[in-house]
Amino acid sequence: MRQVKPQVGGEEAERFTLGFITRILVTIVLDAAAIWFVSRLITNEDYVLAAALSIVAIIISIIMLRHKAYPLRWMSIGIFFMFMFSIYPILFTVYVAFTNFGDGHLLDKDQAITQIRRVRYVPEGGTSFTWTAFRALDGDQNEFGEYALWLKDREGVGYLALPGQPLQRLGPGEGLAGEFDRNGIPLEIAGYERLNAITLAASGADAELREIVFGSDTDGVQIASAQTASQNKARYLYDPAADTFTDQQTGDIYTAVDGTYVTADGLKRLTPGFQSFVGLDNFRRFFQSPALRGPLLRIILWNFAFAFLSVVTTFALGLTIAYIYNDPAFPGKKIIQSFLIIPYTIPSLITILIWRGLMNPEVGIINVTLRNLIGSAPDWFNNATWAKVAILLVNLWLGYPYFMLICSGALQAIPKDIYQAAEVDGANAWQRFQKITLPLLLVAVGPLLVASFTFNFNNFNLIFLFIQGGPPIAGATTRAGHTDILISYVYNLAFAGGRGFDYGLASAVTILIFFIVATITLFQFRFTKMWEEVSENV
Amino acid sequence: MSNFIPPKETGFRALRNIRRSQSQQKRLSIIIRWIIALFLMFFAVFPVIWIVSASFNPADTLATQRLIPRNAGLDNYRELLSSPVFPYLKWVGNSIKISGITTLLSLSITTLAAYAFSRFRFTGRVNLLKAILLIQVFPTLLAIVAVFLMISQIGDVIPRLGLNSHAGLIMVYLGGAMGVNIWLMKGFFDTIPREIDESAMVDGATHWQIFTLLLLPLMRPILIVIGILSFIGTYGDFILARVLLKSTEQYTVMVGLQIFTSGQFSQRWGQFTAGALIAALPIMIVYLALQDKIVGGLTQGSVKG
Amino acid sequence: MKKKLWLIVSLMLLVSLVLTACGGSSSNNTSSNTGNDTVAQPTTAPAATTAPASTTSITIWADDTRAPILAELATAFEAAYNVRLVVEQVADIRDQFVIAAPAGEGPDILLGAHDWLGQLVASGLLEPIDLGDKADDFTEVSLLGFTYAGELYGMPYATENMAFFYNTSMVPTPPQTWDEVVAIGTALQEAGTVTYGLALTGTTYDAFPLQTAFGGYVFGRDANGNYNPNDIGIDSPGMIAAGDWISEQIASGFLSNNVDWDTAHTLFETGQVPFLMAGPWALDRIRTSGVPYAITNFPTATQPGQPFAGVQGFMVNALSKNVLLAEAFLTEFVATEDVMVKLYQSGNRPSAFKSVLEATADADLAAFGEAGENAVLMPAIPEMGAVWASWGDGFTLIIQGQQTASEALTVAANQIRDLVAGALAGMVNVPGSWQAASGACPGDWSPDCEGSALTLGDDGLYTGTFTLPAGDYEAKVALDGSWAINYGVDGKQDGDNYQFSLTADGSVTFTYDPATYLLEITVE
Repeated sequence: MRQVKPQVGGEEAERFTLGFITRILVTIVLDAAAIWFVSRLITNEDYVLAAALSIVAIIISIIMLRHKAYPLRWMSIGIFFMFMFSIYPILFTVYVAFTNFGDGHLLDKDQAITQIRRVRYVPEGGTSFTWTAFRALDGDQNEFGEYALWLKDREGVGYLALPGQPLQRLGPGEGLAGEFDRNGIPLEIAGYERLNAITLAASGADAELREIVFGSDTDGVQIASAQTASQNKARYLYDPAADTFTDQQTGDIYTAVDGTYVTADGLKRLTPGFQSFVGLDNFRRFFQSPALRGPLLRIILWNFAFAFLSVVTTFALGLTIAYIYNDPAFPGKKIIQSFLIIPYTIPSLITILIWRGLMNPEVGIINVTLRNLIGSAPDWFNNATWAKVAILLVNLWLGYPYFMLICSGALQAIPKDIYQAAEVDGANAWQRFQKITLPLLLVAVGPLLVASFTFNFNNFNLIFLFIQGGPPIAGATTRAGHTDILISYVYNLAFAGGRGFDYGLASAVTILIFFIVATITLFQFRFTKMWEEVSENV
Repeated sequence: MSNFIPPKETGFRALRNIRRSQSQQKRLSIIIRWIIALFLMFFAVFPVIWIVSASFNPADTLATQRLIPRNAGLDNYRELLSSPVFPYLKWVGNSIKISGITTLLSLSITTLAAYAFSRFRFTGRVNLLKAILLIQVFPTLLAIVAVFLMISQIGDVIPRLGLNSHAGLIMVYLGGAMGVNIWLMKGFFDTIPREIDESAMVDGATHWQIFTLLLLPLMRPILIVIGILSFIGTYGDFILARVLLKSTEQYTVMVGLQIFTSGQFSQRWGQFTAGALIAALPIMIVYLALQDKIVGGLTQGSVKG
Repeated sequence: MKKKLWLIVSLMLLVSLVLTACGGSSSNNTSSNTGNDTVAQPTTAPAATTAPASTTSITIWADDTRAPILAELATAFEAAYNVRLVVEQVADIRDQFVIAAPAGEGPDILLGAHDWLGQLVASGLLEPIDLGDKADDFTEVSLLGFTYAGELYGMPYATENMAFFYNTSMVPTPPQTWDEVVAIGTALQEAGTVTYGLALTGTTYDAFPLQTAFGGYVFGRDANGNYNPNDIGIDSPGMIAAGDWISEQIASGFLSNNVDWDTAHTLFETGQVPFLMAGPWALDRIRTSGVPYAITNFPTATQPGQPFAGVQGFMVNALSKNVLLAEAFLTEFVATEDVMVKLYQSGNRPSAFKSVLEATADADLAAFGEAGENAVLMPAIPEMGAVWASWGDGFTLIIQGQQTASEALTVAANQIRDLVAGALAGMVNVPGSWQAASGACPGDWSPDCEGSALTLGDDGLYTGTFTLPAGDYEAKVALDGSWAINYGVDGKQDGDNYQFSLTADGSVTFTYDPATYLLEITVE
């Protein structure tokens, strides 16, 4: 198992020439590209992605250069994409499980601090004005700076505000001011052009404009919004050394605890909070949460049954179709297969909803027909058992073409001579199927059955779109429905319930679900012969 | 005359009778299979008839849909294809482009990797195969957020691979290329006897030559099946696409279709169903075009081998 | 063969690398470059095709009905101010915004409903909006809807609420009370004119006007009129009375137990029920159906029925680099009669803009306005998220007849309380400056520290004894592991801290009486 095929080794040793050199060159070019990319990421402060990319680049380089890794070269591109877009998101999920990432804690710490620092207040005696901006005709060459404001207080008194100069109360035609318009704003100011709010905002960076103090130290005015400028001050003063905020109005001091700035007695907190590590909190919360007191066992059992039955029914039907219409001589085979593939070609987003309409207990065509024929019809939505049957039925419809496709391809791979040999031995059709076709097929399709099981185990879309997990379980301590599976139950807990999106909790539970499913998957392999296939075959 | 018949002749007639009964049996089996087929076709097509009928229905309702709607007409199609707000055909084009490229690339990735898994023995082979499957098992409830952040960061460096780019989306789809299909493909490589490539190797062929010239032609049916699966899978995705694509022009058809159902009370079922049917066409065409190639490819090949 | 392959591959890689490298460096200079592709298309924003791309742009996320209207503004806007306007149609604006905004990829402006505020404001994603003088142009209730924690976070453009529809060919005068509804409906049923007297649409949102008529509510309000997440009214007597009424009417055959939204509307449209509670979103289909209808206020049971009110508006992304510009755009360019009229025409919703609302000639919308005069603003607090699912389940169980209203709603309300209170529901704690000193907790003033939680005795009192070094201490009672409900001196919510001191090292015993909210502190 360990040795590389001798031919490979010999081959590699011989080719020290062009092949080897190009390989080195490719590696160098790739690494150069990776280094360039990583350096750019670092400039952008995307350290995690930079680290991930570096690791992948190193792995690829090893694969390219090490002789022993020759087989891996065949899959180097695949490995690259797998690392970046499958494994990286998984690692991200694991990381999130240990943070409080979610509503209220979506921003990172710097973003949250910036937000809090932006909060302003108008101290006692401070005035608010509506403002109109003017720009100096000589731009930033102007001795008072590029911009000037015309301010109007509540009484309608107008002032000219220049950075660094005391406010000047001016009437029409006084000082620099020209004639006023009917809103009491000068049509022109000597040396300046009048702007409106949009032009002003569009001309420069937002943040800069808000920083400019128009007026002197004592009466300085800052733009607070597109409408108002006021003698305002920053409400919360940040002390980077102590990592605390001080409320300028009340004197309260806020320190960061678990991603929120709170006062010492915990009664006041600043929004927004930020992402921070919370250790095992999410796991602890899940195990303490009412979710566990809820009908969890029931949900898990149904989840297994649902996944298992889905796989069995879809595979059985798909295989049957593939098998009985496999005969190339069968008349109309193409038509049949084209019709039978149809469920797979229409996006499930719509077909699930269509099925919902068809199965409507009152007006759906299925029940109307059934009532006409046999006088009664199942209540697909409100009866727990029938709801489960309905889901399995819809899933069968959605899923069998997949196995039909796979199996019809796979059946081609079984050499005809084996059948001929069996026919000579006098085996009948069923025996041939059972003894030859099925085992050979399972070798190829087995992993797909496992994959299909795991897919259905987490088949959130179907459950959610078709019936939202309903009908509800009466008297449950946590909201749950008879057709809820783990993932939809978790979804309700972490996203639809509680206090908004809770990515941290969702991640934690996702990991727990992963362990369940992974265990089953590995277990399934022990009961099938697939591992042996992997390790021994050919 | 009958007196003349030697015992041999009796055997011959018996054989002929058997033949006749065999052909009768065969005809019967065909009839039975056709009956089953009709039943299955009804099961398969029945909801689709409803979709077709809804697409002709000017009223946007699903639950009380009749088989032949009142005032049936092509309004939904006309509106869908002529609306300046929804460049529907462009969306279909985007989808075909994205799914086509993804399918070709992921097929190459899958096939190359499956060949290596089937033909080489190397350290970590079994573990890598297991890992590939286990990665697929991980619930992707949160992957969206991670992928979004990553593509956004990549886009800051190379905008062409960033958000709102088809290339970025394709990259993300390729992340799933090393998936369960490798198992399927490897299984097929395994069914091709090793002697074929060993003898070729003796003749001085390289692995690459064996792979491209000898094995790939034998793999055609399963390549096509996996290709179709991958095409449909990519084509039908709206979860990743709607998070990564932001401007109407860049949408895939599934993201566009989702708009029609998103309004809580303003679902436009008529246009939605019409759109879904148009969206299903490319898949149908791909399938019909490749249907013949699925069957009968390998059988000829393996006989030669 | 193999050599060739490597050569080809390496060449391809080289070429592609050179290409990507160029793309990367050139576009890095103008970070807003990605938007170019978007805007250059005439379908979303015709502006960019006519004028050279300007440096600044505003991006708006809107749904498919509003996007075209806003996109129409792009040309005029760019011509006037040389600012590009990019309008993007997004299906799940809120879900996408929550992911995109923190990454700096969010739009500058988003359209949405007022009940998103709780979630978005708590996360710091929304910028307060100052409408200045323009505020007077908007209806009071619409501004109230977008006010959260005392700040205005959105510029409204429409309000919506449900109203009571009746079939005018069967019902000449609209019923004033639910008793009249039942009387008229039953008579029509007996006459064979209709199948059912009334059809519900199954969602609690739609049944709310019925529930409020019996005195039901979702969240109580505190002294300041804000919703109080700890006063959950799902199992209030009014709600239960409404539930009982529904059970009775289903049993008597007056109400259909099929509660599909589509079905209920179809029953009304085809004259099989004479009454329907519906929103303005159903106007189009009811009008097309040709059924003779009129719209009126909700009937009264013990009090007039109140529908939920929703407000739709524009919000500004707090992480946008163009906050001022976005605000200016909204107040200067969108808050005009012209645009507001267009928004009104597209949506069948009463406008939030006074002049447009007053000019509304549509009798139906006027009737909606009247029916909504006493409407209850849909709670925007994040806790509302916990309510919908459980409340809906309880409601379904009542309609299915699986549980009585009181059973189903009690369970639902308890589920909600559990979720709102979190994992520590039921905890009684005495956080204070003593916690760390006692060694029971890692820090002071932590209401969620299990080490200092009191335990419930048989006498119904919560007690706990802790050893403490000498010193002066303060403490308070906090429930459910958070400060949301806390009692100070005299059992007052948010009251003053209790003070106590130990002259020597010793022990302190806390006794809390849940009936009086009083805490007794005994020092030994």
